[in-house]
Amino acid sequence: MVKPAVDDDDDYIDIDDTGPEGLKGADGGYAWEEEYKRSWDVIQEDASGSIQSSVSGLSELQRKRRRRLRDTEVVQRGIMRHVTVVIDQSEAMGVRDMTPTRMHAAMGLAEQFVAEFFDQNPISQLSVVGTRDGLAEKVTELSSNPMDHVGALRNRAQRDLAGEPSLQNALELAMHGLRRAPTHGLREIICVFGSLTTCDPGDIEQTLQALRHADVRVSMVHLAAEVHVFKRICTLTGGSFAVAADADNLRDALFELIPPPPLAAGRATADMVRMGFPIKARATDVPTPCVCHHELSFSGYLCPRCGSKVCSLPTDCDVCGLSLVSAPHLARSYHHLFPEENFVELPGTSVLSEACCFACGVEWNNST
Amino acid sequence: MRFFIDDLPVIFPYDYVYPEQYQYMCALKRSLDSKGHGMLEMPSGTGKTISLLSLIIAYQQFYPGRRKLVYCSRTVPEIDKALSELKRLMQYRQSQGCGDENFFGLGLTSRKNLCVHPRVSKERKGAVVDARCREMTASWVRAKAKTEGDIELCDFYEKIQTLEAADLIPTGVYTLEDLTDYGKDNGMCPYYLARRVIPLADVIIYSFHYMLDPKVAELVSKEFEKDSIVVFDEAHNIDSICIDSLSIDINQRTLRASTASVERLGERVEEMKNQNSEKLRDEYDRLVEGLRDALAARDEDLVLTNPILPDHVLREAIPGNIRKADHFVRFLKRFIEYLKARMRVMHVVAETTPSFLKHIREVTYIERKPLRFCAERLASLVRTLEITDLEEYGALAKVAGFATLCSTYDAGFMVLFEPYESDQNRVLNPVLHLACLDAAIAIKPVFQRFNTVIITSGTLSPMEMYPRMLEFAPVVQESFTMTLARQCFAPLVVTRGGDQVTVSSKFEVRNDPAVVRNYGNLLIEMARVVPDGIVAFFPSYLYMESIVAMWNENGVLKDVWRHKLIFVETPDAAETSVALQNYRTACNNGRGAVLLSVARGKVSEGIDFDHNYGRAVVMFGIPYQYTESRILKARLEFMREAHQIRENDFLTFDALRHASQCIGRVLRGKTDYGLMVLADKRYSRADKRSKLPRWINTCLTETSLNLSTDMAIGLMRKFLKAMAQPFDMSAQLGVSMWANEHIVQHGGRGDVVTAESTAMEIDQVG
Repeated sequence: MVKPAVDDDDDYIDIDDTGPEGLKGADGGYAWEEEYKRSWDVIQEDASGSIQSSVSGLSELQRKRRRRLRDTEVVQRGIMRHVTVVIDQSEAMGVRDMTPTRMHAAMGLAEQFVAEFFDQNPISQLSVVGTRDGLAEKVTELSSNPMDHVGALRNRAQRDLAGEPSLQNALELAMHGLRRAPTHGLREIICVFGSLTTCDPGDIEQTLQALRHADVRVSMVHLAAEVHVFKRICTLTGGSFAVAADADNLRDALFELIPPPPLAAGRATADMVRMGFPIKARATDVPTPCVCHHELSFSGYLCPRCGSKVCSLPTDCDVCGLSLVSAPHLARSYHHLFPEENFVELPGTSVLSEACCFACGVEWNNST
Repeated sequence: MRFFIDDLPVIFPYDYVYPEQYQYMCALKRSLDSKGHGMLEMPSGTGKTISLLSLIIAYQQFYPGRRKLVYCSRTVPEIDKALSELKRLMQYRQSQGCGDENFFGLGLTSRKNLCVHPRVSKERKGAVVDARCREMTASWVRAKAKTEGDIELCDFYEKIQTLEAADLIPTGVYTLEDLTDYGKDNGMCPYYLARRVIPLADVIIYSFHYMLDPKVAELVSKEFEKDSIVVFDEAHNIDSICIDSLSIDINQRTLRASTASVERLGERVEEMKNQNSEKLRDEYDRLVEGLRDALAARDEDLVLTNPILPDHVLREAIPGNIRKADHFVRFLKRFIEYLKARMRVMHVVAETTPSFLKHIREVTYIERKPLRFCAERLASLVRTLEITDLEEYGALAKVAGFATLCSTYDAGFMVLFEPYESDQNRVLNPVLHLACLDAAIAIKPVFQRFNTVIITSGTLSPMEMYPRMLEFAPVVQESFTMTLARQCFAPLVVTRGGDQVTVSSKFEVRNDPAVVRNYGNLLIEMARVVPDGIVAFFPSYLYMESIVAMWNENGVLKDVWRHKLIFVETPDAAETSVALQNYRTACNNGRGAVLLSVARGKVSEGIDFDHNYGRAVVMFGIPYQYTESRILKARLEFMREAHQIRENDFLTFDALRHASQCIGRVLRGKTDYGLMVLADKRYSRADKRSKLPRWINTCLTETSLNLSTDMAIGLMRKFLKAMAQPFDMSAQLGVSMWANEHIVQHGGRGDVVTAESTAMEIDQVG
């Protein structure tokens, strides 16, 4: 537990536990105003007397460093991704080993994930599938509008959790949706699961074969433990399998899936993809309807091929089916293909001639 | 990789060696050098077999004498696994430039597994295969075939007979499959082939029984030299095997069958007397000359084998009153009638063998000496009468063996008669047990005959017990722990339920609703947090049945069902194997399953629950033996008197070795991980804990002792999450895996000599 820092020279002269100073938390606010902490998780003394919290803090630092040290090799990556996120809504997600429940933690992070995903992969598409009671249901269709998904996820978070999930049903449903996706794009399924079992109607091996046949990558973040069949499906389809020990870990594991994955060796072929760069519709006095929502609006973008109006980019034109993007979107996706060099860590200040940072003007000291 | 232990170059077929493997090899070498016996305990899944083989082969090839290795294992799959490891090792040695000229290794198993005869090999029962085989291969059948012609012989066997042993098969390593393939391709019988070439082999791998069971050992293991190296792998139950091989149970069915056999025997004797009395007279003459000559008959004829007989007995001649065939038949009849009379008694009788013999003499005037030769005489008679359908004489052979055993040994045996199945159950089912109480009797000849006998297993603790029970003095006795870069198994001792009521399988409380409920809750909670498979062990079938019935009533099973399927082991082997198969399917497809089984059952021995097949194993209670059993009581008493082992010590030792066998099932190698839950208050006591193997014991820290259900579940969650994190293999290097430089670091000698000079060194020796 984080104890309020007390100046040790004074503490025997004037110990005032009830005073406002004594109750100040680490961040300067009152202790009860701070975020709820599971203090018994923070400090854990094992038999040998070592404190695990400090160790895990160290490993956290290492993780951060590793995250920064990206692989900078230029490889062909699939920047046009079609991703289905499968979210477990079974009883197991109601377990309170994450605050407040697994479901809430996962939903919150899923929203962040969606936002970040579209930020980094603007020309990709995403859909959401939920599974509970042995059934799978579609939450959102494939689309590139983050607001659609975030809104649906928020609604979802309020729903009851019930029964067991069905991985097979969810995968079949997701695969059905992804089948429409063009072949030059990458098909992926990302599952967030809390249940240790799956309640399947048939042989999941056949689904696995179908997934491999359709070239769908399955990745999973599990909230409890390693389950053989889940891991097997992930590894055999070329995806990743991770188990999140806590909420931070879950975040890391999810966000690891955001950069576009490298293409498999056999699939690295060049394809021509027809794309349109629409012009912004000139603001008019009279609102005109858009083709995507059939609502009247004053602004929008005009498809260069058929001239119909869409509300937001990137998207596919609903009339002629052309992918509509803007140049910044392409540029943002492109930086995954040609990553910048990693920063080099230099020991101490001695190497540096300047006394402060070139970019932000902050002075160097040893702690940074 | 290649490294040195003292001056011995060891070639190890992997790039890295585990530290415990290295230490194991060092200890093994010490034992070989001193030509003494050894006892080595090393956790399961750390590559015991390959360490053993690499060191012993290196030893065999490097030092003069080429000591033969006899490797005894428990089951056929284990034998096959050891053989393929051997094959791999030899291939690797070859690739490393070792000559190993004329190296010859093979395995031996029963006819049923090896037979290639198109008709006989279709039979499913081992005894039937044996019988059909003998019908075609017995020497009198073959002699008859020469004169008469229309008798079917086994071509595969005939081919063997035409060749010299050395020409039968080129040297090399043969797995059981290789052997049958070779037999098929060359038209030779693999079984007899293996038996013929055993004296020539450098490494022989076969089952315990070929070495321990005196009836079989006589046939197979008689020709090994004194300095052969004998290894018993998975030998934690070796005392029970020794005892079983010398114990005989006789019930009314056995007696009925043997009466019928004796009748038939009598008829055959009459027949032969009329047709060909010459043969009977020949036999009589032979018996006068002495037993050993009779035994000089060819090994394949030795069919009704006799139990162990001390040498001085064998040198005597068969007593006069059973030398004549019809006298002997009458003698047998009388003995069987006596046993039948004993069976009619309605109360329990337990007596020593001398008092049993005395009673026989008083009632039937049968002396001790002819009884002692009973089995021998029967075998000889069967041979003379040229009987081939031996399975019909099985019961009679049992009775004869009974007679021989109880008249040969005064101490270490007990004759026990029980009229009822159990004390509560008043169903009449009289059984006459001849119980061997002294495990040392069967294994003593092995220890005496061979310089080096190695006993090894994953669970031998407490190690001081075995030398006392088996009466031998090991020169090397060590227990190794598993070095791990991450703690991949977590033993937890659950002593209380969520409501703080202590749980225990103690007799007084085991059916207490609170205990049953708490055990049930533990299982429910575990089913909720543990992925894939869970194996639960109970101390006995009886207890399992009663507790499962109670769980069914109070809804525990229904709760478990919501998370996992439930499978139950039954005494029926076929049923159990179906359950096991479905259990594995459920573990594979994500449904998850719980297997309820019994310590000392089939599942607890020899079936591995690695990876997803067993993420957790829970032992409900301590698997004590049924202490009311009279045989056990007698054995305990014997051990107290003869070996100064206290009853309680032995019972606890026996219970805990079974418990550790059960929980050891879950961990099969260093990439595997699993939870081991011991649910009984008594496990947290120091005297119980200290009897667990060292590798488990060192992991039992304060935090994992004396847990309540909810605390244990918390630890399980944490453990499972930690284990599922990606594991960096490079962290193991130097800690739990050693390359050459690490061996040097730890004071050993790596491959410091250049490769060329080592190769030369080895060539010189090879």
